[in-house]
Amino acid sequence: MKPIHLNLAARPYRDYRPVYAVVVALSLLSAFLMLNNIETYYRYIHETKATRAKIAEVEEQARVEKAKEDTARQRVKGLDLAQLDQQTRFINAKLAERAFSWSRLLDELESILADDVRLMSVSPQFTVNGPIPLSMNFEAKSGDGMITTINRMNADPQFKNAFPSNETANDDGTYTFVLSVDYLPNAPQTAEVLR
Amino acid sequence: MIWREKRILLVILGALLIGNVIFFLTYRVQYQARLDEMDDRLAQAEGQLAKSRQGRADAERQLQAYKKVQAEVSNVFDEHWSTQPRRLTLLIAEIKRLADASNAIPRSYTFTGGEAHMEPTPGTRGRGGTVVGAKEVGIAYTVEASYDQARRMINLLELSQQFVIIDEISLSSSPEKKLNLNLRLKTLFRDEPQADATNRL
Repeated sequence: MKPIHLNLAARPYRDYRPVYAVVVALSLLSAFLMLNNIETYYRYIHETKATRAKIAEVEEQARVEKAKEDTARQRVKGLDLAQLDQQTRFINAKLAERAFSWSRLLDELESILADDVRLMSVSPQFTVNGPIPLSMNFEAKSGDGMITTINRMNADPQFKNAFPSNETANDDGTYTFVLSVDYLPNAPQTAEVLR
Repeated sequence: MIWREKRILLVILGALLIGNVIFFLTYRVQYQARLDEMDDRLAQAEGQLAKSRQGRADAERQLQAYKKVQAEVSNVFDEHWSTQPRRLTLLIAEIKRLADASNAIPRSYTFTGGEAHMEPTPGTRGRGGTVVGAKEVGIAYTVEASYDQARRMINLLELSQQFVIIDEISLSSSPEKKLNLNLRLKTLFRDEPQADATNRL
């Protein structure tokens, strides 16, 4: 006799337990991670709040400073630096001329000129720094006057590069000569000039 | 078959898990790195701020330096040189006063100049120039004096409050064994402002 197998199910039987196990596992894992992530997020937001505020503040300050810098740079660009530079150089040159001490130069010349030589004229070419070129006319009673004067200038550290450009014997027995020399007012004075 | 039937639920759960894992790896695992990154951003922002402050300070220093030099230039132009109408007569009076003080009174004076002073602009090689805003005036005179009187006159000119430059000195002897001192002086006057000149018209 053949046994009768009664199957009264409306749908075929399927074992969903593995699916539910995976769903539960995924859900638990997701829930755990989500809670952890939420905690992490709030902690991150909380811990970096001060830093983010500081960054925003600093960036704002930097923006303001940059704007001020740009304004100042624009103003600098608008300045006529070349004109001011020219005026400054010009003024410095004229102040150097004004500051030139003729009394000191004459004192120095008095100390080196021989008794038979006298100064007729002196004309400086002013420079802001460095030696001052002088063009000088002298009159001497003897023919040695020019040589003596050059030698004495060479022995004085305040004079440099003494060079004659002309010597003339006059009818009255005197000699006139022209010397160019570099004058260094700030050079140390000699204790004794060759006489 | 059973997986396919529940695929929507599984996909949603999978996506949720992947999202959480990514967030976890980004924020939790690299938490310190992100904090460090934030500190770096702060340091970078502070560096930028310092740079901007330095830049502004440099620019303002340049401006201040310009203003200072300009004030000094203006002081020389306005106070020491002034304009010709304001200072010329004072200068002449001062020179005459110094001549009196040194007992060496010239018989005549020669006045020259009045041209606007030009300074060569770099690179133009004399083809052009910048107007400096000043003009030079020369005063020359010859005086018969002893050497001591001549030295005194030169010394007084050097000490004068007027801006006067001794340009050249010439000496010659007179038959009476006195020196003929020829002095060439010069001074500078600021150009008159255009507005002033216009107002006088």
